[in-house]
Amino acid sequence: MEDIHISGFKDCYIQPTVDFVESTGECAISGESFMEETAKFYWPLVEWVKEYGKKHNKIVFTFSLTYYNTSTSKWLLAILKELREMENEGGEVTVIWHYTPDDTDMNDDIMDYMVDTGLHINMVPFDEP
Amino acid sequence: MHKNKKCTKFAKNIKRIGMEKLDGKYDFSLYEYHNLLQQNILVSYKGPIDERIMNVIGDNIELVTNDGNDKAKSKIFKIFMELAQNVWLYSAESCKTASGRKLGMGTLVIGEFGDSYTFVTGNVVRNSDIEPVIEKCEIINSLDRDSLREYRREQRRLGGDKKNSGNIGLIQVALTAESPLDIELTPVSDDESFFSVAVKIKKTVN
Repeated sequence: MEDIHISGFKDCYIQPTVDFVESTGECAISGESFMEETAKFYWPLVEWVKEYGKKHNKIVFTFSLTYYNTSTSKWLLAILKELREMENEGGEVTVIWHYTPDDTDMNDDIMDYMVDTGLHINMVPFDEP
Repeated sequence: MHKNKKCTKFAKNIKRIGMEKLDGKYDFSLYEYHNLLQQNILVSYKGPIDERIMNVIGDNIELVTNDGNDKAKSKIFKIFMELAQNVWLYSAESCKTASGRKLGMGTLVIGEFGDSYTFVTGNVVRNSDIEPVIEKCEIINSLDRDSLREYRREQRRLGGDKKNSGNIGLIQVALTAESPLDIELTPVSDDESFFSVAVKIKKTVN
């Protein structure tokens, strides 16, 4: 299995930066996410996390998205479900979500992800390390 | 500067240079059209929509919503992205690019009224496609914020098929705007209607 490195760009459409590193178990999705075919972009990422979960028992997953559309939000849920699955199997899963404290919409959304998956998400303001 | 000077001299009458009327020229005055838009309209676009247009307009919204606080600007951007994407993907009126991609056509308008911004999008839809959407809109407008969040979770759990995406988009729009959706359906033929969605966003959101 190979690490995934995709550079984000904001040209014709908005693609987030993705860094999934198998050797350290550190994974991050950052930037903005809006594209026509979210499935095409996110499906391999969900598969990667699923595959990783079968081989390893520790992962630190960081979301640093300043904007994502609703179509993307379904795929973020799919990733979180895989992480929850890993945790159910006894894995040590840490989820960090960078957010803007006064953005109530995003706060609500993260809370809803916790309700839906049963995963604990560590909410860290964007300007904190 | 040069142009402005000339303007005062010419301002009294409409001058037309060239043919009396260009063959095929629209039979309305572009000046009147411009003036109509000048009243409370900050941005307006009609035509094919794709991610490039969305990016340009999305970025430029911030430049014209000067009275809005940061939160309002961020809300307008999010609402714009969802509604414009719905026009792009679901309009019954469309054109094709050289590579065969389908681009939906429609109209996007951002206006300013008192202490609020109003965002309106409109496009032609097939009546058979729009019925379930209208039902969803009625549900959305009947729910309070907590119930709307529950509804969004429920819809999100259903997964990622394209047909369903637009509905979550509308739930998200109502949540972000913190106001109901103002829906208008105008029949244009036996099978098609013009569908428009309007939402209001307060200029200073707490």
